[in-house]
Amino acid sequence: MDVEIIELSDDNARFVLTGVNPAIANGLRKSMLSEVPTMAIDYINIYDNTSVLFDEQIGLRMGLIPIITDLDSYVLSEDCDCNDEGCTKCQLTLTLSAEGPVMVYSGDIQSSDPNVSVADEKVPIVELKERQKLVLEAVAKLGTGRKHVKYQAGVACGYKNVPVITFQDTCDACGKCVDECPKEILRIDGDKVTVTDPLKCILCRLCVDACDIKAISLEEDDSSFIFTAESDGSYPAKELIVQSADTIIEKAKLLNEILESIE
Amino acid sequence: MIPVRCFTCGKVISSLWQDFEKRVAELEDPGKVLDDLGVERYCCRRMLLTHIKLLDTFAPYQ
Repeated sequence: MDVEIIELSDDNARFVLTGVNPAIANGLRKSMLSEVPTMAIDYINIYDNTSVLFDEQIGLRMGLIPIITDLDSYVLSEDCDCNDEGCTKCQLTLTLSAEGPVMVYSGDIQSSDPNVSVADEKVPIVELKERQKLVLEAVAKLGTGRKHVKYQAGVACGYKNVPVITFQDTCDACGKCVDECPKEILRIDGDKVTVTDPLKCILCRLCVDACDIKAISLEEDDSSFIFTAESDGSYPAKELIVQSADTIIEKAKLLNEILESIE
Repeated sequence: MIPVRCFTCGKVISSLWQDFEKRVAELEDPGKVLDDLGVERYCCRRMLLTHIKLLDTFAPYQ
C-alpha cells in the first residue's frame, strides 16, 4: 500500500492510495463518514426562548454546530464507566444566554471545558430582536455518523479510480479530443497527444467518443484511488483519516478475537 | 435563518452567509463570490444562492 498526498490543509485532503483493492478503499471511505467518534450537542434545556424560532428549530441548529473533538479526554457514552448515566468523561455542558437586539453566534456558546469549544465561531444561531431572549443549557456527547449526521465529521468523503488514458499508434493528432476535453488536460505534442495531468480526468469519455479512428482508450486502474476528504472542523483532515483507519483496525482485531474464541 | 449545514453534503455553510449577503448586495457576481469563499460543490452553492431571509417578515408578529 502506498499513499501519495496531493493536497493537505486543515479541513481538506486529497491523496492517491495505490496497491489496495476496492473493498479497502470503500471501507476507509465509509469509516470516515460513519465510524469516527465526533462531538455534537445531543440534549438541550431551554429556560427562555422568545425568539422567532421554535425550541425545536433552535435544538436542530445547536446540534449541527461542529464542536472540536478531543478523544483523549472524552469517550463514547456507551463505553463509559458511568453506564450511560452521564459524567464528565462522556459529556460536555455548554451554556448560551443572549438578549436582543443581537445576532447570536455559535461563538457565544460558553463551554464548561476550556479545552473544548465550537469549531466554527461564526455560525449564526438566531437573530434576536428588541426584548427577545434566549437562555439555554446544552449537553454535548460523542457519537458516530452511523447514529446521526450531526456526528459525521467527514464531509463529502469519496474516491474515484485513477484513470489510465492510452493513445494507440494510429493516432494522427487531429486535435478533436483536445477540443472536447472539459478539464483541458490533453495537449498536442508534435505528432502525438499527451495527457498533462491524468488525476484531473473525470472519466467522462468525451475524448473516446470524439475520436473518429478509435485511437484512445480510457481505463480505470482497479488498485489505485484518488481520495477526497473534507472535515467539518471537529477534526483536522489528517486526524480524521488516521482516526478512520484506526477504527477499521480495531474492528478487524475484534473480529479476529471473536473468530479465535469460536475455535 | 440560513440552514447551518448543506442539506446534501453536510458542509457548514451558514458561517459564510453574512459575507455572501453583503457582497452580493454590493453588486458582486454571486458565482464569483462563492468561488472566492471556497464553496465548490453545487449542493452547497444552491444553499446560499437560493436562501430567502424570512426572519424579518416574522418578527413583527411575535
